[in-house]
Amino acid sequence: MSEMNTPILPPFAQERRLLHRLVYEVWDHLWPWSRHGFERQRFIVALSLGLGAVVSVAWLLAAAGRIGANATIGWWVGWSVFEVLVRRQSKPYVKEGPWWGTQYRRADMADTICYVTFKNLLIGIVLFLAMRYFGALDFLQGLPELKWLYI
Amino acid sequence: MRLCHFFARIGPVRIGLFVLALLFSVPSRASSYDAPLPPQLSSDPDLCAYAPCRDVMPGADSFSPRQGHPSYVEAYRQAGTTRQLLGYVFLSTDIVDIPAYSGKPMVTLIGMDTKGVITGVRILKHSEPILLVGIPESELTRFIQQYVGKFAGAKVEIGKSLADEGQIGLDAISGATVTVITENQVVMRCAYAIARQVGIIATVSMPAARFTPQTDLRDWKSLIDEGSVQHLTVRPSELGVASTGEPYIDMHFGYLNAPVVGRSILGEADWKRLMAELKPGEHAFFIIANGSASFKGSGFVRGGIFDRIQVTQEPDTYTFRDTDYQNLYSIAAAGTPTYRESGIFILRSKVFSAAYPWRLRFLANKIDRQTGTKTFASFEREYWLPGRYLDGGRPVVNTPEPTWLHVWKTKWLEIALLALLLAATATVYSLRDKLVRRATRKKKNWISIPKYVTWTLSIVFVGFYGLAQPSITQVLTWLHSLVFHWRWELFLSDPLIFVFWWFIFITVLIWGRGLFCGWLCPYGSLAELSFKIAGALGLKRFQFHLPMPWHNRLRWLKYGILAVLVAVSFYSMSIAEKMAEVEPFKSTFLVGGVWNRAWPFVLYWGVLFVLGLFIERPFCKYLCPLGAGLAVPGTFRFYGLKRKAECTDCHACQKGCGSLAIDDAGVIDRRECLLCMECQILYYDDHSCPPLSKERRRRSKAGLPLTPIAANGYYIPIKPIGADKPTEGAAT
Repeated sequence: MSEMNTPILPPFAQERRLLHRLVYEVWDHLWPWSRHGFERQRFIVALSLGLGAVVSVAWLLAAAGRIGANATIGWWVGWSVFEVLVRRQSKPYVKEGPWWGTQYRRADMADTICYVTFKNLLIGIVLFLAMRYFGALDFLQGLPELKWLYI
Repeated sequence: MRLCHFFARIGPVRIGLFVLALLFSVPSRASSYDAPLPPQLSSDPDLCAYAPCRDVMPGADSFSPRQGHPSYVEAYRQAGTTRQLLGYVFLSTDIVDIPAYSGKPMVTLIGMDTKGVITGVRILKHSEPILLVGIPESELTRFIQQYVGKFAGAKVEIGKSLADEGQIGLDAISGATVTVITENQVVMRCAYAIARQVGIIATVSMPAARFTPQTDLRDWKSLIDEGSVQHLTVRPSELGVASTGEPYIDMHFGYLNAPVVGRSILGEADWKRLMAELKPGEHAFFIIANGSASFKGSGFVRGGIFDRIQVTQEPDTYTFRDTDYQNLYSIAAAGTPTYRESGIFILRSKVFSAAYPWRLRFLANKIDRQTGTKTFASFEREYWLPGRYLDGGRPVVNTPEPTWLHVWKTKWLEIALLALLLAATATVYSLRDKLVRRATRKKKNWISIPKYVTWTLSIVFVGFYGLAQPSITQVLTWLHSLVFHWRWELFLSDPLIFVFWWFIFITVLIWGRGLFCGWLCPYGSLAELSFKIAGALGLKRFQFHLPMPWHNRLRWLKYGILAVLVAVSFYSMSIAEKMAEVEPFKSTFLVGGVWNRAWPFVLYWGVLFVLGLFIERPFCKYLCPLGAGLAVPGTFRFYGLKRKAECTDCHACQKGCGSLAIDDAGVIDRRECLLCMECQILYYDDHSCPPLSKERRRRSKAGLPLTPIAANGYYIPIKPIGADKPTEGAAT
């Protein structure tokens, strides 16, 4: 037994096919909502849809270099706070032990904050690096169709 | 206990704010740190109206307007009716653009007499965090005074003088190696450039390029692919200006004297016409550009100078006048992209050689979004003709090694020793299961000796000698680099910190923050070692833990400090640097003794130190923003510590946990655990771990053998021989 945390299993943890489990897991990291959460948090669901759209626009603007880094970070923090609230209800678990393993534990508030902060930081880094490497930033910056979004 | 009541009354948040306010209110002694400079300093013809030129040229009573490229002013002294030329004064940012450790240039004013001897150096502005509050201004003044009397053409390096190689050594500033290496480059390169320009140092011509007799024509893509045409882009975000949906400037450029390049770009007839116009020692370049800005400059008028582009070939810089410009109406190469602006520029110099690399430099004003001030910025792209166009190929060029490489070579022994220490510590920790089995609660030498050795080496070698104490400021710098502009050179410039951070990144994910915080952090080691020594010297009876309710409240303070520092850093990095003084690391290791600091720092350091004699690691538990930052990824460490089912209602480990990381339910808080190994020693100790001890006594009474303890922390069960074999007839 390691560190005495309460074990918990997300629905996809029983999946034995490696590729399927990987896809489920990636989805689990990217999609903070769950069917269970949808049923319990109708107000938050409605808020989520609006906020999700706004964050997408903010992200697009940031990627296109239309809003400053500080504003981007503001959005990032705002979204992370919101994601913590959603995950506390819909997916209250974090991984236990090695990241390639299949053990999970029940997450307390601090676990969820750490998880969302760290995960979103990694996602942000990977996105920026990938977009820079593949030239997506250059493409977006020169896209006249995005001019109506300029700030 | 009175202390606890004091904390209880004022609350953790107020304590944190008080500490930050106290430190933040300390006036900086570094007067040139982020000193506001008049905007005219970088452009006004009368440089000395805005800069203390007399300070670097003693005896001068008048100065000429800016002149030359790069610019300088002449310093004069009135001697009777005649004006005597004393020397030259120049501003570093007019000549070189070398970022220091902060990523920003150190704006330096330099004076040099007519014989090329430096008469004075004055740093007008810098943004070096270590010189902000860590190292006093007097150290910087002492360092730059060493340049007075040095010849501009001398080989001056940081370190020892080497008479055989003609190298003059300068004493560095301990703890600011990168800063002084950069400043050395700035001062000596500026002095050399001006000394060459005014004729003090003779110009050494490089062999002129001789071209191969190739005649084939190339399309645009081929020219780009082979490097005959180069590309330089500057984005609005790099200059802090609002985006318009296109690059600020997007230039392609190339060298037209090379027959294949010239013919391909201009076409045969136009190229021949151009070459016929050129005299020996004249070189033609073309530039085409798109973007919201103009490379010709919006303020360009006939008779003026193109102030946005330069060509540099170390150590010379070339600018262009209107007489050096010709129209470029079209480009012959197939596949050339459309462009908005074009031109041909003639460089007139017998010193320039196209056989060697050169750079096209685009100059612009950069607007600081935080302050709105404009600063000089330059963007460069190297150009070197492909070897196939040069008779005999490209010549050998001795490129000066980058600063970071120089530092790595200088410190190779320290780097190797640090790597050895880190590797040894990781090895010892990975063998923890074997070591804790050999240790007992009463005799912990197998764990405590490696820890004491590691702590001592960390304090003495890493902290005091290597000055490699990791700090939250490095995390903030890393975050900023990630968001704004990533520069590997910035991180490579401090090799011990670089190596240490890689180790921290890896081990935090594998084992959590405890291996660094509990075993290797120089300040943490000092705190723990002084706590142990105080206990051994008789203070043990006064040593205590804060009550758990208070511990559980105060431990969040460090996360609040971390959040405040991160948030403030995106408003102002310099304010965040000052606030990061909540870490007593600089006072402990970087300034040659805490007594070299202002009294609030001494007081703060002293309070923490004295508290640390009675409470184990109070700073690490409650205030350290770096520990808080590492706790975030450390929450998801791959390999945790072992626990038993009985740990939920047995509190033996909890009582021995110095970092108070075990709660009443027996759960180890990964964010607080400093991997002291106390609970793991108990895990296998059949005289101290209650369930094990109980089983030992039961077996002893029953006369049963004590089997070895398995990896799960229990005695291996006793099974009669054959007990696991199926009984006769039972098998189906």
